[in-house]
Amino acid sequence: MRDPAGRAGLTGMAAVSALGRGPQAQLAGGLAGAAAFRPVRRFPVEHRRVRIAATLPDAGTLADELTGVVREAAAQAGLTTAERAETPLLLAVHGHPEAARWSDVDGPGPTAGQLAADLADRTGLGGAAGVYTCACVSASSAVADAAAMIRLGRTDRVVVAAGYLVEPDQFALFDAGRALAADGVVRPFSVDRRGLLLGDGVSAVVLERVDAVPAGREVLAEVVGWGRTGDAYHVCQPDPDGAGLARAITSALGRAGIEPDQLGYVNANATGTAFSDAAEAVALRRALGPALDRVPVSSTKSVHGHALEGSGLLELVLTVLALRSGKLPVNAGYLGQDPACPLDVIVAAPRSSASGYGLTLNSAFGGANTALLVGAA
Amino acid sequence: MTGTAAAALTVLAEANWPGPGEDTPAQLPGFVQSTFSPVVAEVANRCLAARHEAPPAPAAVADRTAIVLVSASGDLAGATQVAAAVDTDGRIGPLLFYQSVPNSVAGHVATRWGLGGPVVCRCPLGDPLADGMAQARLLIDDGAADEVLVVAVEQTRDGAEGTTHARAVLASEGERR
Repeated sequence: MRDPAGRAGLTGMAAVSALGRGPQAQLAGGLAGAAAFRPVRRFPVEHRRVRIAATLPDAGTLADELTGVVREAAAQAGLTTAERAETPLLLAVHGHPEAARWSDVDGPGPTAGQLAADLADRTGLGGAAGVYTCACVSASSAVADAAAMIRLGRTDRVVVAAGYLVEPDQFALFDAGRALAADGVVRPFSVDRRGLLLGDGVSAVVLERVDAVPAGREVLAEVVGWGRTGDAYHVCQPDPDGAGLARAITSALGRAGIEPDQLGYVNANATGTAFSDAAEAVALRRALGPALDRVPVSSTKSVHGHALEGSGLLELVLTVLALRSGKLPVNAGYLGQDPACPLDVIVAAPRSSASGYGLTLNSAFGGANTALLVGAA
Repeated sequence: MTGTAAAALTVLAEANWPGPGEDTPAQLPGFVQSTFSPVVAEVANRCLAARHEAPPAPAAVADRTAIVLVSASGDLAGATQVAAAVDTDGRIGPLLFYQSVPNSVAGHVATRWGLGGPVVCRCPLGDPLADGMAQARLLIDDGAADEVLVVAVEQTRDGAEGTTHARAVLASEGERR
């Protein structure tokens, strides 16, 4: 086993969403504040109250899109066939897409584990090592575990993949739960925000121990800190006092030895939901204090929608891209400041980044919170 | 998980569902049409009560106790009913919205016992409890938690609300009290 305290570097990344295919399409959409919501054509929605989502028109199956992003990320990282064969896969998904309609009632049915094993096999990876099904913190939890595995010397390299493609069942549930924005716009932190909209998001990253990356290959960024907590407040609502998320943020910063005033950007979880966005604003103030006044904040869910189990990784990719470009994405849909969300929200045009450190936050039902801190190389 | 050659965690408490003579779990308010979440809540409560007697957990450990829920099936009864409603243009009750992910019942347990550590839900790649204990090991080694409640739960399609069995283990690095 390697010496502990390995640094987790990001050497390859790939993403598809309604913004398009590839990292550059994600960054371009984020910087333009170009919201990609459109009428749902993928399945019948005539019985739904809201009929809009951020969908990629030519999206294939979840398995095919996951295969594509894993291959692309591995190629960018320059992984050889042999290197891929010794690299484990961590996957974040809701479940196997066919499980709920499996006709063999006596059989076990397909599982997310099988999806992961098949993906590892198709992409030449060294097997699936973890499958995360914890809703909107699935992907970020996988990244935190990958970084921990590298830090602890358990592995030198991990591929993390995550995906959600807008489909009828979750769409129906979110609609029944009155969670979707009836005005067809996602307005994180804004006055008059009406809720979230779902979006496609399939991504993959290669994380490697920095001092084990072969010469000639580029480390794009580092995952320098991570934190995970629970609110212990409610089955599905966040703690309005923001204590749990604040602890996750503080943990991430502390792990990296970074002070709040060194932070250059926050990619917020904010979904455009009234109470959740407000709780996150409170958490940010609790954790960052007065320094928050000088940290630009945006939620890219305002352009690509909420990709559920895929959201954490898509947003990590966008955060890395933004920090590397020096331009921070716009929080689209913003009508004006909500007094409950007194933040420096990036509106109208991209902002220049003052530092190479960015925080990406995700929260989910059950009070689950994650904070990932990245440093641009 | 990769490279886990570390020593086994200490089991502080454990519980199973069903116990002798048990069939249907107690109804869990806010969770309907499936035995999945009621069984998770019941087995978690039994396990935590064996350690802490009554909720909430002591302040010294509460914020540092994680919940790891492992299931290959997930809430199969719930998912099947939603799929059937979607396919027949049937009504979907709003309560099914949040219970469609395992986080929600994990959040119920966390709220009842005041557990502020990470919430992780997984589909196992081998033995479910072993998968959960490996996750627990990683959380503890990484400093994210001191104690971990691991719940391994599986549901089959027997009956309209499914047949669910589960095992809960509260584990830590330290010695059993």
